[in-house]
Amino acid sequence: MALRNTTRRWGALSQLLHWLIVILIILQVTLASMADDLPAGAKKLGLLARHKSVGITILMLALARLVWRLLNPTPALPQTLKSWEQSLARLTHALLYVLLFAMPLSGWMMSSARGFPVSWFGFFTLPDLVPKNRSLYEALLTTHSTLAWVLGAVVTLHVAAALKHHFMLRDDVLRRMLPLGSSTPEPK
Amino acid sequence: MTRLTASLAALPARALGAALCLVLVARAAEPAAVPHYTLDQAKSSLEFTFTQAGAQNKGRFKSFPVSFDFAPDKLTAGRLDVAVEMGSLDSGDQERDDTLRSEDLFSVKKFPQAHFLATQFVQTAAGFEAVGKLTLRGVTRDLRVPFTFRTATENGATVGYMSGKTSLKRLDYGVGQGDWKATDQVGNEVGVSFSLRLTAH
Repeated sequence: MALRNTTRRWGALSQLLHWLIVILIILQVTLASMADDLPAGAKKLGLLARHKSVGITILMLALARLVWRLLNPTPALPQTLKSWEQSLARLTHALLYVLLFAMPLSGWMMSSARGFPVSWFGFFTLPDLVPKNRSLYEALLTTHSTLAWVLGAVVTLHVAAALKHHFMLRDDVLRRMLPLGSSTPEPK
Repeated sequence: MTRLTASLAALPARALGAALCLVLVARAAEPAAVPHYTLDQAKSSLEFTFTQAGAQNKGRFKSFPVSFDFAPDKLTAGRLDVAVEMGSLDSGDQERDDTLRSEDLFSVKKFPQAHFLATQFVQTAAGFEAVGKLTLRGVTRDLRVPFTFRTATENGATVGYMSGKTSLKRLDYGVGQGDWKATDQVGNEVGVSFSLRLTAH
């Protein structure tokens, strides 16, 4: 499998970034809900520290992914799709990118507003994005959780669409994001 | 005759010596005549730094009465007594302050004060060092606190400026029970720094 994308298939790096971010988002939801269930304490602090580090990792991966996307061809949507379906697909993908940035950034800002500097796994400390401010923190907390639900909704739509393409439309839209999936050969 | 004169002459000298000895003993037994300072709380700070989740964080104490007898040229007469009101801690976050005051950390209800008492002082290249004992959360341990000290006259009154920093390990004092014994999220090493304005009495 080629490293770069073609107009028909996602390359190895795009696939790696896509699936790595999927795994990390699942980890994020797990860490956040585990922390939510705990009272203030060392365990909660530890879980939230991991959540922040993983979030910053996702932010870095999202940035790499966006840059790589701009430097590569994007596999085209099947021509069989109606134009509103194409628009919906583009909107969903754009929203996912926005959320990949908005989620970690709102979390990072939230931590700064609370007055807790964010460290990346203890290796380095990130600068504070906003000055300490309790009401700003409360607003960002609401934003961060609301965005999490929005992300959940958009991901659901994204997954449902991928499954529809694979099982109902029987095209290669899902397969071309899978390492082992074959796709329609390149035109000669 | 000459012998008698000699012994007579020797008498007052001896008496003088004895009297001098008495005075010296008396002076040593009495509180030494070094200035006594107390804290100007509004213009003083006592801060602590700690690692939380990999990042450096800061807190301070708002109330920590100080009694300080000190003269740089009479170190043996020095005495430093600091009583830190643990409940007055402020880490800049109400929820964290409550956690810090709780039983597993500072246990403020049971141990409302931390106490540093030093009666031994040594001169160092950079200033001085107070050699004493810190009692924190019911545990007493030796602690050396380096500091600098200078005096100034402000509006006709003598004031002293004392500052310095040291570090200690929180677990040495039992600050961190249960889950808080782990040092991966909250570091064991805690920095302490102070900048005091003292007024002489």
